[in-house]
Amino acid sequence: MLNMIPAAITLLADQTESKLSLFPKSASTFSSDSDWIFHFITIVALIFFIAIVIALFGFALKYKKAKGQQAESQTDHNTTIELVWSIGPSFLLIVMFYFGAQGFLNHRTIPEGAYDLGVDAYKWGWGINYGKFVIHPELHVVAGEPTKLTMTSKDVIHSLYIPAFRVKKDIVPGRFNYMWFKATEPSEKIATDEELEQLAAKDAETNASWDYDARQFTPDGYSFYDLYCAEYCGTNHSQMQTVVVVHETREDLEAWIKKYSSRPSTESPASYGEKLYQRRGCKSCHSIDGTKLVGPSWKDLAGKSRPLASGESVTADENYLRESILNPKAKIAAGFQPVMPSYKGQLTDDDIYSLIEYIKSLGEAGASGGETTAAEGEGQPAEAAAE
Amino acid sequence: MSVGSVPAGYEVKDPGYPTPEENYLTNSRGLLTWVFTLDHKRIGVMYLVGVSLAFLIAGLLALGIRLHLFAPDGWLFNNEFFKWLAPDKAPNDIYNQVFTLHGAIMVFLFIIPSIPAALGNFLVPVMLGAKDVAFPRLNLSSFFLWVAGAVFFVMALLASGLDTGWTFYTPYSTTTDTSVILATSGAFILGFSSIFTGLNFIVTINTMRPPGMTWFRMPLFLWATYSTSIIQVLATPVLGITLLLLIAERTMHIGIFDPEYNGDPVTYQHFFWFYSHPAVYIMILPAFGVISELISVHSHKRIFGYRFIAYSSIAIALLGFLVWGHHMFTAGMGSMTTIIFSALTFTVSVPSAIKVFNWLATMYKGAITMTTPMCYAIAFIFLFTIGGLTGLHLGTLATDMHLHDTYFVVAHFHYVMVGGTLVAFLGAVFHWWPKMFGRMYNELGGQISAVIVFLGFNLTFLPQFVLGSRGMPRRYATYDPEFAGLHAMSTWGALLLGIGLLVALVVLLVSLVKGKKAPANPWGAATLEWACTSPPPFYNFERPPVVGDPYEFGDIQWDAASERYVKIEPKRETVPSEKPAESPAHAGE
Amino acid sequence: MATTDAGHSATADHSADSHGHDHDHPSYLAHHFDTPEQQFDSGKLGMWIFLVTEVLFFSGMFCAYAIYRSWRPDVFEGCSQFLNTKLGAINTGVLLFSSFTMAWAVRASQLEQHKKTAALIASTLCCAMIFLGVKAIEYSHKWTMGLLPAGLFTYDPSNPHPVGGPNYLAYICAPFAVATVGIFIWLVVSFLRGAKFQFECAKPILVVFLCFFVGVGLGTILESGGSESHGTEHAAHVEGGEHDSHAEGEHAGEGEHAAESHEQEAATEETAEAAPTEAIAGLVAPGTMVSSDNELDVIKRLAADTTNTGLQGELAARQAQNDMANGAITYHVYDDVSATVAAAEENVMRKSRAGVFFSIYYCMTGVHAIHILAGIGVLIWLLVRALRQDFNKNYFGPVDYVGLYWHLVDLIWIYLFPLMYLIR
Repeated sequence: MLNMIPAAITLLADQTESKLSLFPKSASTFSSDSDWIFHFITIVALIFFIAIVIALFGFALKYKKAKGQQAESQTDHNTTIELVWSIGPSFLLIVMFYFGAQGFLNHRTIPEGAYDLGVDAYKWGWGINYGKFVIHPELHVVAGEPTKLTMTSKDVIHSLYIPAFRVKKDIVPGRFNYMWFKATEPSEKIATDEELEQLAAKDAETNASWDYDARQFTPDGYSFYDLYCAEYCGTNHSQMQTVVVVHETREDLEAWIKKYSSRPSTESPASYGEKLYQRRGCKSCHSIDGTKLVGPSWKDLAGKSRPLASGESVTADENYLRESILNPKAKIAAGFQPVMPSYKGQLTDDDIYSLIEYIKSLGEAGASGGETTAAEGEGQPAEAAAE
Repeated sequence: MSVGSVPAGYEVKDPGYPTPEENYLTNSRGLLTWVFTLDHKRIGVMYLVGVSLAFLIAGLLALGIRLHLFAPDGWLFNNEFFKWLAPDKAPNDIYNQVFTLHGAIMVFLFIIPSIPAALGNFLVPVMLGAKDVAFPRLNLSSFFLWVAGAVFFVMALLASGLDTGWTFYTPYSTTTDTSVILATSGAFILGFSSIFTGLNFIVTINTMRPPGMTWFRMPLFLWATYSTSIIQVLATPVLGITLLLLIAERTMHIGIFDPEYNGDPVTYQHFFWFYSHPAVYIMILPAFGVISELISVHSHKRIFGYRFIAYSSIAIALLGFLVWGHHMFTAGMGSMTTIIFSALTFTVSVPSAIKVFNWLATMYKGAITMTTPMCYAIAFIFLFTIGGLTGLHLGTLATDMHLHDTYFVVAHFHYVMVGGTLVAFLGAVFHWWPKMFGRMYNELGGQISAVIVFLGFNLTFLPQFVLGSRGMPRRYATYDPEFAGLHAMSTWGALLLGIGLLVALVVLLVSLVKGKKAPANPWGAATLEWACTSPPPFYNFERPPVVGDPYEFGDIQWDAASERYVKIEPKRETVPSEKPAESPAHAGE
Repeated sequence: MATTDAGHSATADHSADSHGHDHDHPSYLAHHFDTPEQQFDSGKLGMWIFLVTEVLFFSGMFCAYAIYRSWRPDVFEGCSQFLNTKLGAINTGVLLFSSFTMAWAVRASQLEQHKKTAALIASTLCCAMIFLGVKAIEYSHKWTMGLLPAGLFTYDPSNPHPVGGPNYLAYICAPFAVATVGIFIWLVVSFLRGAKFQFECAKPILVVFLCFFVGVGLGTILESGGSESHGTEHAAHVEGGEHDSHAEGEHAGEGEHAAESHEQEAATEETAEAAPTEAIAGLVAPGTMVSSDNELDVIKRLAADTTNTGLQGELAARQAQNDMANGAITYHVYDDVSATVAAAEENVMRKSRAGVFFSIYYCMTGVHAIHILAGIGVLIWLLVRALRQDFNKNYFGPVDYVGLYWHLVDLIWIYLFPLMYLIR
């Protein structure tokens, strides 16, 4: 532990001036409201606090007496002064309450014609639905334009929290919860396309996923704001994070959406399938290296015979894979729970095709890898199915 | 007049009782006489030992949390040792279980029974001038229920842990594979322990007051205990049924809370916080009572605004039932409901503020002796003020949208629960220790512990306010690197706080062996518990106590010759030596 | 057994601690009390506070009832017809009578009429046992039909009385039968050994336990000729919305339960008329967010014709959309947007709908039954003490406190009965 002291001190010393502030960057119309009220309350509280502390330590020093001395006064009450200090501060409370409630109503009053996005929260990740089958873990919005999020959860309670926007809302399964905000500060494009390509190539080599914290920009090169899950939701609650990118214009945003809307004609289905695997939340339940997660691993899945929970077994052909994506509860792989949500209506035919191609490519890799992996595959029944 | 002698024209009124040969600790021997005792004092001492053990366990878990958060990717539970200890659990899982058990044990096994059950059991009858609580057997059974609840928690810990957070929110708690049923059964049983304690105190205070003990002659600690008991009796049954339904939900899927079966998780939150918010006041109100006693006694000055403090306790108890919704501002309640809950939340802050001002006014022009309990009392006012004022940020809706479920909340309630209740509990233990065990502790050691606890506490939790306002969500096992500096600072503070608590423990334990014998009234206090010997005899009072004003310090004088406080009275033949009892009323009042 | 403690911990420890005190400290007065009045007042206040906690304990479930009823009134309406009003009414009467005998017992104990006190306490106990016996019939019948809490719900409208399941009634009766036999043996043994007091105690307790079987018998008679069979068909029709097959259903019902009275015919007629609309309302989000959307209303009306399968799906989808727009609870609509007629049929009588009603029903009546059981335990203790002639005009607290408790248990049933059985 001792070797951490220098690290801690460096980190403290490293705080630049902007980092010393109480808040993350203010990036939405709510931020300035919220911060203003926060500062107001803080100042009022500080005034009271300082007065109380002066009195507390002042009295403790001034009236400190040796054992056995009598107090100077034995006044037992003074109704006037007690009423003053009971009622007086209440006026300040009313002010705080009023501005707080006003700010809150702004949060609740969703403006007409706000840009509508869907949010799916699941253990442990986010899917932002941009319509037209584009679902992506990053939240992309337009600056200066109100954005409305319609949020659902597939499993337990989550809470969408964007500190820079000062907004938070629980996402309760079985309900639709809404949130809106108007971002004010657009993200900057800080990495060039060439750099991005190099980094992507590097990641592909090491099989690493994009490290937002270390790089501080998205795979598209934008700076971003953090988005957290704020309601405890289990093992990887603290990793249930994504980023918010604010585009300057609607055109920018739409261009970005287009980029992800379908497979570019130049790309092979399998490699696009891998992207979907990363992007659409498959990877939080299905491994590609044979590890058993919530769902069966995709390694060595395609074409193999898989035992089902019902006792039958089925060959994991294209039809089976397709059914498992669209109607996961139809055939449950042995050893797994029927917890996968249906992706019906969320993936285009081409998407499903790409995913299946990707799964097949994993099987081929495993097959060429040798017999050892095949044996592993047998030891881990399941796969495929449902999940 | 000279210090330490009886002034001219006065005489020592009450030379003190002769020390009886036996006291409650020695009048019968053997473990079984403790286990089956009906004596409220012994039950109080057993509670004290029990809650201290619970605190020790939960405190170690807290250190585990802080040490894990030393580094952004987690530190402690990434250690090889934990891989060996729990091979099938990820570090995140261990962290989640540790913070859950820290919270659950602290809340259900330590804070709720700490002052009311441990100190309350010892003090309520003595302060009141009664021989015992109204239902001694019920009292013993609540202690054993506490033990049973604790056993359930230990079983949960040993079975497969608990990772739901102490709030057991559905649907997470109905789907996780940890031992939720064991833990909720434990909490259910502890709830009944708490109900029976509260019921006992209400009846005791209502019917067991001796002649002369009117409502407004009761020490403020009794007022606080009374308010607390009201909350315990009214709120805890709702927790009981909520946990019962949760258990049924988990076993039979009754579909009341679980959306999978068409239930509604937000209903669970309403049910849960209907108990658990008043429970916050179960935790803090007794601390208010303790501090009122401590400030007044160690300032040797009448408490300022007795009635305001007494009424504000009751006000907090009642208002506390109307504000549970402020735990759910972001859960998606109706706008109007949310705003009303916010307004009600602000009203609770008023009676809390009244108390702080009254304590300051009590110190004003007092004769303050900086004893260990007084040091803790001053620390309490400082810390509780911060805790209370930061509550304003959270009660204000617009800022709560940002701060809810962040470290700001964590810091806020630790300032209230630890900086408030724990510090008051320590102050109370130091204050009544001579009465409970008849030994004086090392004063300097006690003061050092108070200073270390104060500094360590602030170092731990002040940075967390900043973490929260910068957007660090709570219950995170790992975090973004930009928060690392403040987290490290907080961890160092936690270690310091741990050292302070250890010092306090050592000082108290050493006193049992090496401490001087305590006089009946070591602080010069006027409440009844100081009128019996230290430690008290089995029936508390050898003779029926004379009930006087609990805050009249004018007739208490330090006698340097015998090194103790004595009660004096003017030398006049005509005045009767005892005040006539004010009213014989007791039962049913 | 918390109840006993709350009421009597202070008053009951008269034997141990009272020695060594002055003469005017009677044996029934605990050492830490000054006067019998103080002791009585303390006990009574304690008991009242305990009753407050009991009320609050139940209030949680009453709240749940109110919330879910307001969300899904039709589910509650449909499902409450599965409850047998006759059995409920009998139980209400039995409990009311037991409250009367209890109150009388308190008076008798004050007047030091020891025999009468014991007899009245015994009759209170008999009533409690009859209540449980009838309850056993109600529960076992529903369990056989699969009318269980949401997670275990297996009721199938097309096969309401499956055969070959476990005999739940036997399971419930077994512990009581064992206890009865045990008490009988105790009675014989104490008689043979000449233990007079024990014999005196065993006699009434045996009668009390036999009363459980009286309750079971009473329940069986009422249940077989009762209205529940009708209720079953009735509800099945409402839920299924298949008014065409109404006649068939009735035949099936007749096959099983011979007597269908004239009134019931009339009632079923009514049901048949009401069925289509109710069934459709129950289609997607029963009763909750009734939409003001005109288009939706039109489709609803068209879809009232159950042969119009295409529209059913359309309606489900629209209603789902509408609910989403309102931000209402959606009952996992994404799982069943593919609503078909088949889906619609099983809609209300499906785990997550009807199950919630039965969850609340079992929670409330179950917790109430546990309180009855606790009351039986305390009353038996009281019976023994009454036979021992412990009570006198200065010391009748325990009878009084248990009486208070018993009245509360009775009172809760008085609320449960209309809420569960009657309000339709």
